[in-house]
Amino acid sequence: MMMESKNNIRECRGNEADIAIEIRDVTKTYGKHRGISHLSFVVPKGDIFGFLGPNGAGKSTTIRCMLGMLHFQKGEIRILGMDAKKQTREILRKVGYMPSEAMFYPSMKVKDVIRLAVEARKMNCDSEARRICDLLDVDREKRISELSLGNRKKVSIVCAMQHQPELLILDEPTSGLDPLMQEVFFKLVLEQNARGTTCFLSSHVLSEVKRYCKNVAIIKEGELVKLDSVENLLRSGIRQVKVWQGGQERQFTYSGNARELIRELDTMQVDDVLIEEPSLEELFIHYYQEEA
Amino acid sequence: MTLWKHEMKMNIKSLLIWSCCIGIVNFGCLLLFENLADTMEQMAKSYSQMGSFSTVLGLDRLSIATMEGFYATELGLIFAIGGAMFAAMTGALMLAKEEEGHTSEFLHALPFGRRYIIRWKYLAMVSVIILFQIIVILWETLGFAIAGEMPEVQEYLLFHGAQFFVQLEVGSVCFLVSAGSRKKQIGAALGLAVLLYVADMMCRIVPDIEKLKYATPYYFSNAADIFTSGKVDCGMLGIGVVITAAAFMCAFGVYMRKDLAA
Repeated sequence: MMMESKNNIRECRGNEADIAIEIRDVTKTYGKHRGISHLSFVVPKGDIFGFLGPNGAGKSTTIRCMLGMLHFQKGEIRILGMDAKKQTREILRKVGYMPSEAMFYPSMKVKDVIRLAVEARKMNCDSEARRICDLLDVDREKRISELSLGNRKKVSIVCAMQHQPELLILDEPTSGLDPLMQEVFFKLVLEQNARGTTCFLSSHVLSEVKRYCKNVAIIKEGELVKLDSVENLLRSGIRQVKVWQGGQERQFTYSGNARELIRELDTMQVDDVLIEEPSLEELFIHYYQEEA
Repeated sequence: MTLWKHEMKMNIKSLLIWSCCIGIVNFGCLLLFENLADTMEQMAKSYSQMGSFSTVLGLDRLSIATMEGFYATELGLIFAIGGAMFAAMTGALMLAKEEEGHTSEFLHALPFGRRYIIRWKYLAMVSVIILFQIIVILWETLGFAIAGEMPEVQEYLLFHGAQFFVQLEVGSVCFLVSAGSRKKQIGAALGLAVLLYVADMMCRIVPDIEKLKYATPYYFSNAADIFTSGKVDCGMLGIGVVITAAAFMCAFGVYMRKDLAA
């Protein structure tokens, strides 16, 4: 896997101006506890990049290291060509971040939270904020304490997108949003992407990664386990095999030579067999079970 | 400046509650003084002969039957403890409330930077303390105007000036606690304010622990001392300023190195 990520870095290093995120050999531990370990990958500019992993894999830790909220012990992170350790403020000016937990000051009104986010950037984004609020059906006069998780998520979307950032970092953005709002949200993401915004989408919802992302990194226990385009991942040599033998059904994933698989099936004396390309969900599970 | 304005808005309610509570209590007591002045003559004599208790409260040097004595020994005490408790609470909340309320991710995703955040949050704390002083002084001035008499203006302002440094020191120490903590340590902060007052009382009575006077800011800001001597011990005040500056520098160092909770 290290080789794979090194290749990914080398491929993109050809033109550093084309790189939105460069993570090189980053390690972050919390005392004795693991955070992320020797993580390396590159996200090209203009990409919608999926960052997959189950809860506790290190997705949020990686993002928080990128934004200067956590201090990592080893490695280097460059965001839009800037050093994440030394140029945090400059990076944050060009980044829109949507945290997994959309929490704001409960006593504040929605419009005041949105205004605070824009005043911090010394910009005037009134018309864009209004447009996104209308699309997401956000009531700007309500207090944060009156909002449900879904509605707080919507406020978070407005705060992350209103200034039209160069890089959008989205940490589990759809949790709490109803399916209708998820559609509107991804419409906005695609719209921003069409304008040139790079999107870094951390998620464990595989369907949305498959639908919207070009490239994907899979992280497991703080380490990178797979880095490829979604297309290549789905076309990998891995096959989902279902066999019926004596009235019993067995299912397994197989990666390797097709002839060997047929030979193997022959020795098993199966009654029936179904070999198909795995879904992203099955691939994900495959990578997770591989070294477990 | 954006963050300063935001913090001022967030603290306005608590500022008004605390300053008006203490201001109104002192205002009410000043109105009572006029009616109690005659009966206090006898009381003043007994209070001045209560040994250590009289020494601690300054009743051996000032008469509770005079406006100056009444203010220094009674109202000054309410203001000193109440003000320090308010400053302690404000300082303890400033940084830790973001992590406990899970708003730190929102705040730190804005292009402020940690240096800016700590600087403007500290300035907001100082501003809140100054406003607290002004509001209480306004209530007290109203009380003096109705009562028809007031203590010497110079000593009165000197006392409030010294109290500002007490509140700043207690607030700064609690700000440091806040920088290193992920939970709002309000209990510890209020405890610290009271503990420092008790330390002042104790070191005035027990000679063996006299050195505690260097640790507690209540020593240089004691109302009875200021109203009798007409000055503040600059050496002790200097120690307080050094502790304040050190607390802020340490808070800065701690916060810059800290991993922020989500």
